[in-house]
Amino acid sequence: MSGFGGFVLRRALGTAVTLLAISVIIYVVFYATPGNVAQITCGPRCSPVQVRQVAEQLHLGDPLYVRYWHFLEGILAGQDYSTGTSVQHCPAPCLGLSYQTDQQVTRLILTKLPVSLSLVFGAMVVWLVLGVGTGVLSAWRRGRLSERVLTGVTLAGTATPVFVIGLILMIVVCGQLELLPFPQYVNFSDDPEQWAWNLLLPWLSLALVEAAAFARLTRSSMLETLAEDHIRTFRAYGVGERSIIGRHAVRGALASIIALNANTFGSAVGGAVLTETLFGLPGIGQELVHAVNVVDLPVVVGMVLVIGFFVVIANAVADVLYAVADRRVVLA
Amino acid sequence: MRQPSVIARRVAAASVSLVVAAGAAACGPKDSDAKSSGGDSRPHKGGTLTVLNADPQQDFDPARLYTSGGGNVPSLVFRTLTTRNRENGAAGAQVVPDLATDTGRPSKNATVWTYTLKKGLKYEDGTPITSADIKYGIERSFAAELSGGAPYLRDWLIGGADYQGPYKDKKGLDSIETPDDLTIVFHLNKPEGEFPYLATQTQTTPVPKAKDTGTKYEEHPVSSGPYKVVKNENDGERLTLERNTYWSASTDAERKAYPDKIDVRSGLDSSVINQRLSSSQGADATAVTTDTNLGPAELAKVTGDKALASRVGTGHFGYTNYIAFNPKVKPFDDPKVRRAISYAVDRSSVINAAGGSSLAEPATTYLPNQKSFGYTPYDLFPAGASGNAAKAKELLAQAGHKNGLTITLTHSNSKDFETSPEIATAVQDALKKAGITVKLQGLEDNDYSDKIHSAKTEPGFFLAHWGADWPSGGPFLAPIFDGRQIVKDGANFNSGFLNDKSVNDEIDAINKLTDLDEAAKRWGALDKKIGEQALTVPLFHPVYKRLYGEGVKNIVISDWTGVLDISQVAVK
Amino acid sequence: MSEALVASTALAADSSAARASGARQFWRRLRAQRAALVAAAVVALLVLVALAAPLLTAIEGQDPTTYHPSLVDSARGGVPVGPLGGIGADHWLGVEPQTGRDLFARLVYGARVSLGVALAATLVQVLIAVVVGVAAALGKRWVDQLLSRITEIIVALPLMIMSLALLAIVPGSFPRPVLVALVIGLIAWGTLAKIVRAHTLTLKQLDYVAAARLSGWGTWRIARRELLPGLAAPLITYSALLVPANIGVEAALSFLGVGVKPPTPSWGQMLTAADVWYQAAPQYLLLPAGALFVTVLALTVLGDGVRVALDPRAASRLRVGTGRRSEAKADASTDTPAGGADLPRQDAGTPPQGTAVPRPGAPADETKEATA
Repeated sequence: MSGFGGFVLRRALGTAVTLLAISVIIYVVFYATPGNVAQITCGPRCSPVQVRQVAEQLHLGDPLYVRYWHFLEGILAGQDYSTGTSVQHCPAPCLGLSYQTDQQVTRLILTKLPVSLSLVFGAMVVWLVLGVGTGVLSAWRRGRLSERVLTGVTLAGTATPVFVIGLILMIVVCGQLELLPFPQYVNFSDDPEQWAWNLLLPWLSLALVEAAAFARLTRSSMLETLAEDHIRTFRAYGVGERSIIGRHAVRGALASIIALNANTFGSAVGGAVLTETLFGLPGIGQELVHAVNVVDLPVVVGMVLVIGFFVVIANAVADVLYAVADRRVVLA
Repeated sequence: MRQPSVIARRVAAASVSLVVAAGAAACGPKDSDAKSSGGDSRPHKGGTLTVLNADPQQDFDPARLYTSGGGNVPSLVFRTLTTRNRENGAAGAQVVPDLATDTGRPSKNATVWTYTLKKGLKYEDGTPITSADIKYGIERSFAAELSGGAPYLRDWLIGGADYQGPYKDKKGLDSIETPDDLTIVFHLNKPEGEFPYLATQTQTTPVPKAKDTGTKYEEHPVSSGPYKVVKNENDGERLTLERNTYWSASTDAERKAYPDKIDVRSGLDSSVINQRLSSSQGADATAVTTDTNLGPAELAKVTGDKALASRVGTGHFGYTNYIAFNPKVKPFDDPKVRRAISYAVDRSSVINAAGGSSLAEPATTYLPNQKSFGYTPYDLFPAGASGNAAKAKELLAQAGHKNGLTITLTHSNSKDFETSPEIATAVQDALKKAGITVKLQGLEDNDYSDKIHSAKTEPGFFLAHWGADWPSGGPFLAPIFDGRQIVKDGANFNSGFLNDKSVNDEIDAINKLTDLDEAAKRWGALDKKIGEQALTVPLFHPVYKRLYGEGVKNIVISDWTGVLDISQVAVK
Repeated sequence: MSEALVASTALAADSSAARASGARQFWRRLRAQRAALVAAAVVALLVLVALAAPLLTAIEGQDPTTYHPSLVDSARGGVPVGPLGGIGADHWLGVEPQTGRDLFARLVYGARVSLGVALAATLVQVLIAVVVGVAAALGKRWVDQLLSRITEIIVALPLMIMSLALLAIVPGSFPRPVLVALVIGLIAWGTLAKIVRAHTLTLKQLDYVAAARLSGWGTWRIARRELLPGLAAPLITYSALLVPANIGVEAALSFLGVGVKPPTPSWGQMLTAADVWYQAAPQYLLLPAGALFVTVLALTVLGDGVRVALDPRAASRLRVGTGRRSEAKADASTDTPAGGADLPRQDAGTPPQGTAVPRPGAPADETKEATA
């Protein structure tokens, strides 16, 4: 499998280049963002002298390329920093320290990532069930009530912003019907059952937004397959419709669904900002928006890199799975 | 800060920190409380109090906190030299002793302040609290690593302006003396009769030098108060506080500390917090919030429901939202134009935009409408409820703008309902009637904050607000109107660039007073005098409405913070 | 977006362009889908309402910015006075809580911003995607590698975060709706560029393009004369889906406080302000939500309809344009290919084809005709 090995190597190299470029872009963009970082960090009532001290401590006076170089150094070799009373080491890959809280960005990401992954993994299951289910129904049970209702629901999900869906779900399900408690994040390792119950509504809200795309893709891929020669042959031989749908049409759509799923998963890791904000889930997206607002460059760069990493990896995984699911495609 | 989106609140980070732990006053609804909890309304010890908050307690270092009166959650862990009186209404706007035996003994024309600590004070590990620890706590607030607190110690203490904190300067600050373990003496560079107010801030919390871990101290600050931190997850997002067994009620007349445990959960959306408090299910029945007010939409719902309405605490905090002029920018250099705009403003539509008459009171004075600020009512340019367009037009004509005027109003893009677009459009709509065309310039929050606080870039006409660091005229008027506080190369708050010798002299004279009632009267008079210059158009003072869970008792809301004091509430 | 997804969407839509056979057929197939027609009418109506906003509000006698303090109950947070949020002869859809501004006026003016921003953003996305995608497909190897890498980077940048940052950088004096459209357009073109590149690569293999190359046409001329017409179908199809997505992005940006600036109304902004009013003044939320839903639904259905009309293979599956109206009540999103038993009796004019490798084989003249 030298072909596969080469593919992985090329992908890894490409990923590194992409991530490097992303970090440069973020550095430049946030360098140009208005807002006196030292003043924001120091507090609104800081004197010019204090602001200068803070700027010096954060190396804000250094030219952009020097700061970027320190950032690269930190990733490769780690960095030492002072807490005032002692010197601490931030081991490689060190993404620096938050301007605002002096926390190690790498640690911050490690505490936030499980939340975002929990949200997106669970939502993925829901959007697959809902989206693919709707897609299969609409290709199979064309025009029946159940199919129309489901299609309507998924489209409504796409059309309504997640902050509206989420809030209404919460008010109705938790507030009025009292079916569920108001969501608050519980670590999976602490209590898997509570973890799931608390994430149910966030999963549903996020999945509703994505489900329609899956429904559409499933449906069109299935129709594509159903029109193929071999299916017609099966039909001619009297193979049952249920079997044709289940064994052939769905399988035919599988490759595309896998591809779309990996993509959606990748972008949702950082893209679930609104869901995390509304439900108070301490994930990457919520933290990132906060960091952008206070121009906390190390946190922004670190988190955007992690998101970019997931997108790129998800795409690579998609390509491999796609190739496995659909042997007609050769890896480029 | 009064409306949903966490993001909005966070966008407003800069302005929020001025009023962290803000809140104001009034009406502890004790009788309605009796109804809702049925039967025994007396508070008892025990149980767990849940706190549902929007903002995580990211700053939990006493050096970095910017609080009014010691804050709400921080005040459970940090005791300070003095503190706010934990009582309802105006009585709650007074300073009372905390670690110290009195509120401070002034000498040498209020430039030297001496405090004596109570005996038997201990940290959570049982070691005694000494005056040296308080000195050290103050010193470390000067370190650049721990910036964020209020500016007064730096401005007032001799040598404060140049001191860089104990990490860089091991020698310490000479202007704080600790002749023995129980005595601490402060030497100020000018008379400051309000020093007892300053001593309520968390910077006067004792920090044991041996336990100081610099920027990591906030993960587990050493408690001197009734509770200690047993869990601090995700940088203050989830805090669990339990009883500090070394704290003794006999040395602390202020904190009641009824619950056994405090569970702080934050990072929640404001609308979710209010929804949870109104549903009051499970642990939420014994929940309160220390940072989320009822928004207009929620108020509309709550007022229609008697049971819910009985669970709303109303308070007033010293806070003013206003329009600021920069007289260096034309046409605002002309007092007639400034007065014309003052006449034209429609406060009722501004107040509606801010949440309606239940959440905002019209302001015609710059000082908040509370006694402790020395509130002296005046309305120099009466606009009535909905603006006096005729008078405004007349003044504009006199100023040479017969055919109207086109000006730009700068505001922020936050969702705080204070300097946000809703308020700006209400002003825009009102001035239209007076023939003034207002263009809106909305800035992202950091940009806005930078621009309005820089002498070089300050716009001519913008929305602003100011909150009280403590309930007195001093920190309200001096930063805005003292000509010597104009900052050329940093954050400037004297937006009108007022540098009037008579005003400066009066500020100095009042600062010498140690009789705070007398000082309040003089602040009130000074406010009226400054008001004649029409450098600001006061718009409204906010009113805070907050829900609390069904099982929460002993609601105390002071005029100092305006929100229910969690050191007083009971859940049993 | 991964190569895999591009490949799979390309498979679904690709052959369409080259195989479409004539504008007249396109219209015939589109007309045969009743749902698509209804959707087209709805979209047309929405655009018309947006364009005629000043006229419509003049008929109503209101405007979107004037405050009516007397129409809201100030003590109750500014909830509209009167039943159903103040609906009446003066205010057809009631008034906004807190301000008393006319909701009908805000809704129709909001349509201008929401649709305008979304369409403009889509246009920017399509322009960039076509330039980058075509250049990558036709250019030298290093050009392709460079552009593909740039596309990869753009795809990996989180849209919301970059929008927040970019919208903060540009001075406030820049017209906001234009800026929002530009920012969305400039950040979210990666996926489309990949699709364009994949299609162009396919088209490049075709006989007529190869012939043009052999006869010494320049790259530019080939791109303009031979490729762009072939790209039209997938672009139209995909754009119809981008527009509603962009409306959603504008709404999300408003939620994060960086969308279009007040007092200019937009649906996203209305939704953002209204979500907390769900219990106290439900119509305030339901109006923009309903408008957005109808728009997205109509555009989606129309997009599917256009795709079907452009793709004879899909059309034949759906019995569209074959004269069998009864079987072709084709709501492209909710309906239905013909039943299994019918399939073998498919029209011989469009031979079924495997999807493994795109093999568009229509003659050049037919393609041109289709997009003329």
